[in-house]
Amino acid sequence: MATILKAEKLEKVYRVGKVDVPALRGVSLSVQEGEFVAVMGPSGCGKSTMLHLLGGLLTPTSGRIVIDGEDLTAASDAKRTDIRRRKIGFVFQRFNLFPTLTAEGNLRLAERIHGNGADDPDRRREILRMLRLEDKMHHKPLELSGGEQQRVALARAVVNRPAIVLADEPTGNLDTENSELVLKMFRELNDRFNQTIIMITHNPEAAAACQRVIQMRDGHIV
Amino acid sequence: MDSIVISNLRQRPLRSAISVIGVALGVALVMLFTGLAHGMSDDLQKRSSNVSAEIIFTRPGSMQLTSSSANLNTKYVELLRQVEGVESATPVIRYFYPSGTWGVDQVEGVEWDSFSKMNNIRIIQGHPPNGPNEVVIDETKAKRNHPVGSTLKIFGEKLYTVAGIYAPESGARAKLTLASLQDSLEAPGKCTFIYVKVKNPADQIAVAKRIDQQFPGNKIQLTREVFATIENSIPGLSIFMRVLVLLAAIVSALVVMLAMHTTITERTREIGILKAMGASRTYIIGEIEREALLISFLGLLVGFALAGIAGFGIHKATGLIFEFGWKWALTAAAIGLLGGAIGAFYPAARAANLDPVAALAYE
Repeated sequence: MATILKAEKLEKVYRVGKVDVPALRGVSLSVQEGEFVAVMGPSGCGKSTMLHLLGGLLTPTSGRIVIDGEDLTAASDAKRTDIRRRKIGFVFQRFNLFPTLTAEGNLRLAERIHGNGADDPDRRREILRMLRLEDKMHHKPLELSGGEQQRVALARAVVNRPAIVLADEPTGNLDTENSELVLKMFRELNDRFNQTIIMITHNPEAAAACQRVIQMRDGHIV
Repeated sequence: MDSIVISNLRQRPLRSAISVIGVALGVALVMLFTGLAHGMSDDLQKRSSNVSAEIIFTRPGSMQLTSSSANLNTKYVELLRQVEGVESATPVIRYFYPSGTWGVDQVEGVEWDSFSKMNNIRIIQGHPPNGPNEVVIDETKAKRNHPVGSTLKIFGEKLYTVAGIYAPESGARAKLTLASLQDSLEAPGKCTFIYVKVKNPADQIAVAKRIDQQFPGNKIQLTREVFATIENSIPGLSIFMRVLVLLAAIVSALVVMLAMHTTITERTREIGILKAMGASRTYIIGEIEREALLISFLGLLVGFALAGIAGFGIHKATGLIFEFGWKWALTAAAIGLLGGAIGAFYPAARAANLDPVAALAYE
């Protein structure tokens, strides 16, 4: 299997007032194509910071990130945005769907942003079928349950075939039943499409569904 | 509905409507003011163009845009008739008077026979003004509920009977006898100006020079020049209209800027999501500009409709004439759209530069 993501000696220091607060202290990791990786650790250990760095939403203070052969850290802001558009799908704890758009509208928006003729009805249908959302396409987020919203968010994240999906506590806002359902979907995506997934979670059961678990503490991988 | 632009507008209908109305008011103001200015000046010009005389003989300063004085001795009429090349001359008093709530109107005192003969004006109903209390009016004024036999107030409470209706319209819409107006103004033997018709229109400049040489100190104007520049002669009109256009543009831009600024503050998290999805700065600015342009476009349509309805209503109520031209409609459209685009640009650029992580964490 090829390495799809490689991070070397990542450091991130936030400036809060006049105080430097280190969030990551030299994190290195490597993720293979098709891997489903869980990242666990106590609050404030740097999990979300690492995910934001890997997704190009933040720039590291030092270190290097290469995604699918492209160096994220050497890229300009515009280039990082472009890499994110082509190679990364995000899933958030709070779903972060567009409330004014239907489920289908949210997916089509992702396709439009992706561009390059990404509007692929077959792909969209296949994903929706797999995520059991066919009959929810014309519903707006507020008309959906939490589990359904998160599945729409997952569909949106993968509709453009990203190299990697970064999920930030995707079951954090869900009850047990919906959490299991969403995790099952993640696993199916991983199995059927060989989708690479890095998922932050506090839930040991969710982590158990992954092929590998990375533990973090105080800005380090332990 | 998967257009983020349209769904956003539908999601907040009240704010969208207020923004549209804000732009519409700017557009309607431009259309109404320019339409009124053009309508009134064109109407004046049209009425003036029915004057056949080539030369206007008057005293300097005796005739302004909305005022006049009867300070020219009518003895000049006979003297002018004797000038070589002059076919006829007829004296006119033009008097401006307060008209209802809506400003000023004008009345002329004429020697009907010579005036109507010179300018090919005929009575189409009733008879010419004979007595001191008789007035003739044109068809436009007659349509405003002034049939033959009805009465008009020109000087205070004094009533004038409509003796006849004349056509085509020319100069002031109401005409008294010269003697009647001289009497009312206590200006016997005086007039405001004298229309001079020349035997050969090709010689009008030569005749005008001759008159100037024979009667120095008076003002001699060629009718064609006076009437061609009516709009330009209104002091500051073009500056006024430009200032108005600028103000309308600023109003439109501010309305859209405020609307988009509020929208973006409310949608900070959504902008964070767009950024997380890989939307470029250009894409984000483009979406916001599209929304602003849609608001502006709707504002344009509403503004044009508003101007049309208001213009019709004001015309019906007051007789003021509006003439909407393509040039100003295009200017108003450009103002609305450009104002919207410029107004939205700052909020759009601000949104595009938001830190995605901070935006995603925005409550």
